[in-house]
Amino acid sequence: MVTFSLNGREVEVDVDPETPLLWVLRDHLQLTGTRFGCGMGLCGACTVHLDGAAIRSCSTPLAMAAGRSVTTIEGLGGNHPLQHAWVEHNVPQCGYCQSGQIMSAAALLAANPQPDEESIRQAMSGNLCRCGTYHKVQQAILSAAAVAHWQPAAEDAS
Amino acid sequence: MSLTRRQFIRNVSVAGGALTLGFQLTGCSGKPLQLGSDADFQPNAFLRIEPDGTVILQIPKAEMGQGVITGMFTLVAEELEVHPSRIDYAMAPVHSAFGDPEMRLQITGGSASIRVYHEILRQVGASARETLVAAAMQQSGLDRASLEARDGRVRSADGNVDLSYAELVPVARALAVVSDVALKPADQWRWIGRYDQRVDAVAKTDGSARFGMDASPEGCLTAVLLRCPWFDGAVESFEAAEALALPGVVAVFATDFGVAVVAEGYWPARQAAGKVRVNFTPPGGGLRDSAAISAALEAALDGEDFASVRDDPATAAAEQGARVSARYAVPFLAHAAMEPLNATCRLTADGCEVWVGSQAPDLARDVASRVLGVPREAVVIHNQFLGGGFGRRAAADNVAEVVAIARELKQPVKLVWSREDDMRHDWYRPAMAGAIEARVHPDGRVSHWQHRIAGPSINQQVLPVMMGAMLPQWVPGGPRQWVGDFVGKKDFASVEGSKELPYAFDGVSVSYRNVPVPIPLGYWRSVGHSHNAFVVESFVDELAHAAGMDPLTFRRQHLPESSRQRRVLDAVAKAANWGNVPAGRFQGIAVHDSFHSCVAEVVEVSRVDGKVRLEHVYCAIDCGQVINPDIVKDQMIGGIVFALSAALHGEITLKDGAVEQSNYHDYPLLRQTDTPPMTVVLVESSAPPTGVGEPGTPPAAPALANALFAATGERQRRLPLRLG
Repeated sequence: MVTFSLNGREVEVDVDPETPLLWVLRDHLQLTGTRFGCGMGLCGACTVHLDGAAIRSCSTPLAMAAGRSVTTIEGLGGNHPLQHAWVEHNVPQCGYCQSGQIMSAAALLAANPQPDEESIRQAMSGNLCRCGTYHKVQQAILSAAAVAHWQPAAEDAS
Repeated sequence: MSLTRRQFIRNVSVAGGALTLGFQLTGCSGKPLQLGSDADFQPNAFLRIEPDGTVILQIPKAEMGQGVITGMFTLVAEELEVHPSRIDYAMAPVHSAFGDPEMRLQITGGSASIRVYHEILRQVGASARETLVAAAMQQSGLDRASLEARDGRVRSADGNVDLSYAELVPVARALAVVSDVALKPADQWRWIGRYDQRVDAVAKTDGSARFGMDASPEGCLTAVLLRCPWFDGAVESFEAAEALALPGVVAVFATDFGVAVVAEGYWPARQAAGKVRVNFTPPGGGLRDSAAISAALEAALDGEDFASVRDDPATAAAEQGARVSARYAVPFLAHAAMEPLNATCRLTADGCEVWVGSQAPDLARDVASRVLGVPREAVVIHNQFLGGGFGRRAAADNVAEVVAIARELKQPVKLVWSREDDMRHDWYRPAMAGAIEARVHPDGRVSHWQHRIAGPSINQQVLPVMMGAMLPQWVPGGPRQWVGDFVGKKDFASVEGSKELPYAFDGVSVSYRNVPVPIPLGYWRSVGHSHNAFVVESFVDELAHAAGMDPLTFRRQHLPESSRQRRVLDAVAKAANWGNVPAGRFQGIAVHDSFHSCVAEVVEVSRVDGKVRLEHVYCAIDCGQVINPDIVKDQMIGGIVFALSAALHGEITLKDGAVEQSNYHDYPLLRQTDTPPMTVVLVESSAPPTGVGEPGTPPAAPALANALFAATGERQRRLPLRLG
């Protein structure tokens, strides 16, 4: 049994602790917003937060999450300034990588509420997008940063 | 014989050039279309309005990021007089009513969706609106001129009549559908050319969008497949005792496609797969290594047996011009969509259901029915969002595999490919070689353009598969392969973008030689244009330099004065400030027609200490009437990013018949930090809309190669390109 906080709620799962967090979320907890892309931490589609930091859930064993706090795209709640900015800027095309993009961006804004374009590019360089939405990702992050500052503590609110 | 409403399918057809929305008996075309309930107003196959006013549009095309749902909503909303955001969508089931009007197959490709459907969907909306208005006329006793439909209501000018579409549904559904409605003139449009909010954006930002990967019927297990690394091998034997002992593992068995490992979830399945030892039948003969394939293509260029696809004789004497010649080569490419291939299957009493993100759901249905040995009608395809398509998801190999696994397992099962599976078992963009020459005359005129193309034919492989879904199932494979072989001799997919050379050169000949390879081939964003634009527009640049002319001036001089090519060239040159770049900056230009659209691009690079860097890409497109401007711009930028990834990094190589690349570390894509700023200009046009999903891709590689030549003086004729 492994216990951790998921989107503000305690969860207990009876899964091999070596299982990557991604598959625990998708196959055991039915949170399918976190995507499988490469399985090697190369594309960022599986990005979630572990204690507020962006991690690649495809290469993070469940054991690492024990007793800690995990936030997924579903945990952002749909009202995060980034999610509004994403819609306003029409960022997604196929949409498959966008959960990971948003989670990386949310971790960036939590650490650096007013990033410049270069720090955005650097922070987002681990997230691949085959549709080529990179410019829109940048614009959306800049506009969300200008609109509001999200409180990272909200990740733990139950 | 009495017919109920439900025994009709409402079909749309283009007869004799005039668009008609009509009714068709189900008898000739299989099962009746059962969508919604009898209480709905359903004027045609595409649209229904439920009693609560909910408007649902059947989407006959795959949504793979190109924005087709938003585009179709915009077209219907314009005539239906509802806001586009008030429409809901359903992915259309496989049915003849939803076959592409040109291609017959229910397939998404050729950047065709809006081009072939724009008029039909406007008519769908207009016909529904006029029928609702007719219902309001019946209700109110007023004439047509006294009523106006707007924002989902029908009102009279004096305000005494004000009926919502919901209120009109029960009346409208009993009326004859009003057809042949005159469409709104452009000056009355509210949404076409303006509407800019993607209707799938919310679901794609809150995690709720459902891709094929997310399908999960009750009791669904997960399978992975151990495929033979080379493409012509089959399972000879396997040893799975160790794998079967692992927790969560349900079954390990051989299929026609490899050894299936089934478990309770992806991770145990993948772990167990690592413990299975498989012996495959040894590889056959033929071209099995990249070096051998390159040599064979090169040798083919020197041989005979080319099939002519264009041969305009020259009038000038060849010897008056200077001969310029060059050889080009491009590699195999993978699609590398972000969502690895997958498919989910549940057996039913008489067939099966399949959940998959497919560009060709009726091909998926045909393939599933063949594997299961049931009629097509016994297979239900639930099409999902596609996590990228780019042509890869027009194939249905994943569907064949999952049905074979479900047939054996007799339980619902989801097949998930790893990234490595996806990279190593793609249907690849073929490697191609080109030999090209022309004569440049002292006055700048060009004659005796001769382009020879050698490489494997996509359609020799793919058409026989596609035809399986187009023809009755009793037609055997032999004749289908014969058609593939025949088409392969002059494959249009191998020569598109070369054959249609737009320049007014004196004498143009283009010929093709098919060099078959034992490697699966497929359509890759812009298909033949992806390599032919690189060769043609690089060589046109070579001719400009040979003539001592500016590459833009040279192109303009050989294009008709009022041509689309000139318009987009002028638009992109203006945006890029062509010819006036600061010191240390260099530009390359290219123009290319594809999928009925015309795109010109300028790539601007800098060079510092011998190191070249991408600084900016400019793009101008003429795609006829724009429906959603922001989506067109996104498709241009996305198509350019896709092309630059390939131009700078893309290369699939083979060793002993197996693909050497496996994941994004050895098949890299452009990242956020590599992607330069871009500017897109939409050239105004009121001509009917043409393609946007693919046309942004072809000009980018030659524009970059031409910029590199400007920066370094070195002409690179082989992709991928080196930056300094």
